[in-house]
Amino acid sequence: MDALSRIQQLGMPKRNNELWTFFPVAKIPQQEFLEVRDAPRTATFDASSETDFAALLPLAKNARTMVRNIADGESEMALIKCNDDFGHTIFNIGKNAKVSLEILDNKVLHEIAAERFDLNLAEGAQVEVFFANPANDLPLRFRHFNIQQAAGSSLRFSSIERGNGITRVSIDDFLKAPGATFEIRTLNLLDGTSSSHHRLTIHHEAPETTSTQFARNLLSGHAYASYDGSVIVGENCSKVNSSQLVNTILLSEDSSVSVKPVLKIYHDDVECTHGNTCGELDADQMFYLVSRGIPEKLAKKMLTSAFASELFQALPDSPAQKRLLQVLHEVI
Amino acid sequence: MLSIQNLKASIEDGTQILKGINLEVRPGEVHAIMGPNGSGKSTLSKVIAGHPAYKVDGGSVELDGKNLLEMEISERANSGLFISTQYPTEIPGVNNVEFLKMALNSKRAYLGLPEINDADFHKLCEEKMELLEMDARYRERGVNEGYSGGEKKRNEILQMAILDPKVSFLDETDSGLDIDALRIVANGINHIMNPEKAVILVTHYQRLLDYIKPTYVHVLRHGKIILSGGPELALKLEEQGYDWIEEK
Repeated sequence: MDALSRIQQLGMPKRNNELWTFFPVAKIPQQEFLEVRDAPRTATFDASSETDFAALLPLAKNARTMVRNIADGESEMALIKCNDDFGHTIFNIGKNAKVSLEILDNKVLHEIAAERFDLNLAEGAQVEVFFANPANDLPLRFRHFNIQQAAGSSLRFSSIERGNGITRVSIDDFLKAPGATFEIRTLNLLDGTSSSHHRLTIHHEAPETTSTQFARNLLSGHAYASYDGSVIVGENCSKVNSSQLVNTILLSEDSSVSVKPVLKIYHDDVECTHGNTCGELDADQMFYLVSRGIPEKLAKKMLTSAFASELFQALPDSPAQKRLLQVLHEVI
Repeated sequence: MLSIQNLKASIEDGTQILKGINLEVRPGEVHAIMGPNGSGKSTLSKVIAGHPAYKVDGGSVELDGKNLLEMEISERANSGLFISTQYPTEIPGVNNVEFLKMALNSKRAYLGLPEINDADFHKLCEEKMELLEMDARYRERGVNEGYSGGEKKRNEILQMAILDPKVSFLDETDSGLDIDALRIVANGINHIMNPEKAVILVTHYQRLLDYIKPTYVHVLRHGKIILSGGPELALKLEEQGYDWIEEK
């Protein structure tokens, strides 16, 4: 089944669809815009099992597919530019290959942009994917990741969102064999009327697989962030370890956040946790800093910077860590 | 130097905690404030510092003739006031040394001085850390992050040593200190102290006063200073408690 047929079968996103609960679906163009399509440039793709509109959209619009194969044991640092309105990128990463992949921001102003990434990790592959988008004015941006992980592979995903429009990152990660690990560390640094939405589903399909989700939000103005994180642990998947933590600091009266953890666990011998905190800047910490002579504005900056950078300081020394901390240093 | 006149303050629900504090602190003096739990000792330090949880109902607090109560919290500190609270706050992610440097440079900016350069700051920091027998861990960690109670108190005195305040109000600096740490911290305070500075110590025990000789000892009870005397008063309190004062 092709992507357009699948969208027609599923229908356009609605608020009563649990994948789109928190998203302002009225901002998505009506179905008619799907009829306007480029000439076919998309790799053949069976979309019958896809459920997320954002995963299907680039394919339905005949986005150009870029395929990159990385051989076993290779090390590579790659930059991906997403300047088209719709894009599709496939990375096939060989056994024990090490890849650092930075996704650069879309510098062309489109009314809507949607990118899909398929990352296929062979045994022992170690991959980091990161982006730190500069504040751009894309009104609506979707970025979907479909990740397939073989035994012993690891994928570390880290990002900073600080656009002025509406962004949605969706990830379907399939941990298919023992030893596979997935980690996401993502920061929303939002102001004005911007909103950022994360929708993840982590499929633990094998025993001894691990997933870590860690999101932080610093929200000002009327900004809104949502985090919808699902973990599914299959039958016979013992020794699975999964954690999810979302911390939010609301820096204004009108900013807000929604968090929805979903755990579907079909085995007893697992450790799965989730947590969520939301509040203002810690009053005691603020008082402590200003009582040492640090002006309030600077104290606030120190605390927000600490809150944000703590997320990425735990990353190993890597291009992702360098880039993300550099961006934080520049913007906070 | 520090002049507190008829200071009254209450908490959010309207309960008045300080009911008219009077205290004159001159350069070179060490004042010890003692009193039972809940008498208002910690409140006094927080009200002087400008903690937002307290409302000043009346009175004045002047440092070298300037009314502290009209100043922003940071301005009070930069004017020469240092308050060490009973439970120093942990601030994960804010590096301890960066924080110290930021605080010192804020004070220097307030005084119209240029920022301290890295080499001079490093030297100053090393010197004060050596005085307080502090190791490298204090440099690498977040402010008070994961410190033991004693380590936090030592870190407070490090801040005091670097910021070089005119008046330091140290609230139960001796709590949580083992015998050796108490000696080190007390020596640090004595080292920092000079005839142009003053220290106010809040303590429950004579043991701190064995190291830091007070000029005056005050008893704070029910939000007022009800008795003042010399160092011998602390010894008597240690021996007899507080009940005899009320009986008297």
